[in-house]
Amino acid sequence: MLFHHSTRAAAILVLIILSGVIIALIQGSLPALQAFGFNFLIEERWNPVTERFGALAPIYGTLVTSLIAMLIAVPLGLLIALFLTELCPPWLRRPIGVAIELLAGIPSIIYGIWGLFAFAPFLQRTLQPFLIDIFGSIPVLSSVFEGPPYGIGMLTAGLILAVMVLPFVASISRDVFEAVPPVLKEAAYGVGCTTWEVVRNVVLPYARVGVIGGVMLGLGRALGETMAVTFVIGNAHRISASILAPGTTISATIANEFTEAVGDIYTSALIALGLILFAITFIVLAAARLMLMRIERRVG
Amino acid sequence: MNSIAGISNAAQSPVPTVGGRSTDAAGKLAEKVLIRNLSFYYGDNKALKSINVPLYDRKVTAFIGPSGCGKSTLLRILNRIYSLYPHQRAEGEALLDGRNILDPGQDINLLRARVGMVFQKPTPFPMTIYENIAFGIRLFEKLGRAEIDERVQSALRRAAIWDEVKDKLQANGLSLSGGQQQRLCIARTVALKPEVILLDEPCSALDPISTAKIEELIDELKDDYTIAIVTHNMQQAARVSDYTAFMYLGELVEFDTTSKMFTTPRDRRTQDYITGRFG
Amino acid sequence: MNLYSRRRLRNRVVLLLSVGATVIGLGWLVLILGTLVYQGLSGLSLAVFTEMTPPPGADGGLLNPIIGSLMLTILAVAIGTPIGIMAGTYMAEYGKYAKLTVVVRFINDILLSAPSIVVGLFVYEILVAPMGHFSGWAGAVALALIVIPVVVRTTEDMLLLLPKELRESATSLGLPRAYVIRFVSYRAARAGIITGVLLAIARISGETAPLLFTALNNQFFSTNLNAPISSLPVVIFQFALSPYADWQKLAWIGALIITFAVLALSITARALSASGKSS
Repeated sequence: MLFHHSTRAAAILVLIILSGVIIALIQGSLPALQAFGFNFLIEERWNPVTERFGALAPIYGTLVTSLIAMLIAVPLGLLIALFLTELCPPWLRRPIGVAIELLAGIPSIIYGIWGLFAFAPFLQRTLQPFLIDIFGSIPVLSSVFEGPPYGIGMLTAGLILAVMVLPFVASISRDVFEAVPPVLKEAAYGVGCTTWEVVRNVVLPYARVGVIGGVMLGLGRALGETMAVTFVIGNAHRISASILAPGTTISATIANEFTEAVGDIYTSALIALGLILFAITFIVLAAARLMLMRIERRVG
Repeated sequence: MNSIAGISNAAQSPVPTVGGRSTDAAGKLAEKVLIRNLSFYYGDNKALKSINVPLYDRKVTAFIGPSGCGKSTLLRILNRIYSLYPHQRAEGEALLDGRNILDPGQDINLLRARVGMVFQKPTPFPMTIYENIAFGIRLFEKLGRAEIDERVQSALRRAAIWDEVKDKLQANGLSLSGGQQQRLCIARTVALKPEVILLDEPCSALDPISTAKIEELIDELKDDYTIAIVTHNMQQAARVSDYTAFMYLGELVEFDTTSKMFTTPRDRRTQDYITGRFG
Repeated sequence: MNLYSRRRLRNRVVLLLSVGATVIGLGWLVLILGTLVYQGLSGLSLAVFTEMTPPPGADGGLLNPIIGSLMLTILAVAIGTPIGIMAGTYMAEYGKYAKLTVVVRFINDILLSAPSIVVGLFVYEILVAPMGHFSGWAGAVALALIVIPVVVRTTEDMLLLLPKELRESATSLGLPRAYVIRFVSYRAARAGIITGVLLAIARISGETAPLLFTALNNQFFSTNLNAPISSLPVVIFQFALSPYADWQKLAWIGALIITFAVLALSITARALSASGKSS
């Protein structure tokens, strides 16, 4: 009986933790939210001296870097999953699968330090001038790829996030692809479909919900990623059209400024940022969970 | 009958237990277990419809019938293993020595020490062979090391596996072959000195040689225990049992001595099943 | 080009792209590990493990962050693992059909992927602010909050994977529920549960954000949990972003140490789960 109750209590504790997080965040954000109201979300200025804070730049940065990351990671991840399930010789499957998962296990601060010292300089020398040159003369796109090649900036942060999210999308997609009943694929091959046609017309539709779930989990990770981004984003509270420019994300702002924040409003503004981030990731993760629950029910 | 639970249970039960003899003073067969108007539900689905059947003391009763007829369900009522699952419930009576085991007042753990069960899939515990047996014994009795050694040995002998494992009692139970694992599970069950042993398709996962060994074992065990066996294999039922019950779609269609059942069944459905018209 | 050759071309292109994608994916891994080894290995020496972090310009090592990380990790595991295992046990065993379980599973999965910086903020609010100062305890609690969802998930998954016959055969011996869980289920799922704990350790070894405003950092060697305590990830953060070359060097060395610790843990966890499956 005691054992029964203790296990139950532990399960309830998990519930309490979540509620606790939400309550604590709300409580901590109240001063800032009361001071700025809804404007907090659309104000770009972030001035600790005058104590005027606006979350627009961090929110923008979070969304843009995550978008860049997903645009790169999702196609790459799906292609890797395709390779692993259709093309890869069986003896290679496990090693490569393990390697991909090891990639997922590397702590984010490692990505950060690698990004800052190895990747950013590389980008500064190669990719960024390249992009600036190519798009320099095209009217709209030139402002997207404009600016001095700092090396760091939103594009760099997005690229590093892409590398971090890639293993998630690849692993989950691979698992879902593998769950497709072989008979379905055999039927398609049997009428003469090429591998790509089988994947496009049989595997992907069947695995669609699972893939979307995996993508959203990856998105959740990208949105909340802190250390890797903090190193290479440049930490400028600005919104720029150019993705080569420095910017900031919610988590990078908090990481950089929290310990130096003086004054209640400053601290509270940072906690309010945390609340916004938690809300965004909660929605994304909840949607992903619900979708994955739907397939689990369908399969079995 | 000096079963572990029998001692403590006797103190509870007002009805004197009929032990030690397979017929009572009048020469009639003693009913160790009597199932009366037993119905069983999985959620809203009525899986057993008013079953009435006895299990005679120290006899082997086989339950046969096509898949889904309810024979395993019936067996699982007798040790109330279904109570692990919230959507399953039983109505009616199942009397063990005259006392209804479905009564909420019945101590469920003591019941299970009196009524043992062997499952279709051999499930040795993730422990040494010795521990597999000793574990259950220690739960109910406080014995010294030497006594437990003796009980373990006698249980393993009873299950006809002692010679094969006596030199490797400390080996993991999972290292045995399928047939040996199943005999280990039987040893585990008899170690608690039950009064009734329920066998739920005990040989269906085993090869013919292991099956033969277990059938021999059943023949020896029936001297001391009341046995109920569910089996898909009619020939097996014919080989090992004294009484057979044929079930179909949740109902008990016919119950008789095995020899009568297989030579002159009364019901048309029994005849059809036995001759293989459906199955 | 007729239809057929167009299809074949498209197919070839896609397949080539998929190979390319895999090469890119693996290439990142090689690149990152390679850079780590290149930058960090040369500085690896005994001094790294025996000397404290130095002021810029002086020689030193990573003793305090390593010890600090070890202490925080051990503490976080000590706090988080029992809670995680207990909650997972409830969800897979006692509460398997309960509504509470559905809710907790949902919430747990969200906590599992939630940004760890938010966890840091939470612990700041409930521990650091009231206490008035940063402390190792707060850091350990923050890490424990990351351990718990991982352990809950793996414990529940591992216990649910056990065949139901195992539980049933233990129950049919008369074992009370708590015994079945503790002596049979846990033992059978042991490898999987330990794997979960190892994965949790691997995860928190590299976590920086939650420590930034809980345990903070400490320039000197200290084992006092009531005060700010050093940890490897935070030191890497601080040193890497600094303009001092020797600090940056130490940051690389620290990164190398963490990465290989995490890889070793992950590989051990895999090997354990693979061997668990084969038995």
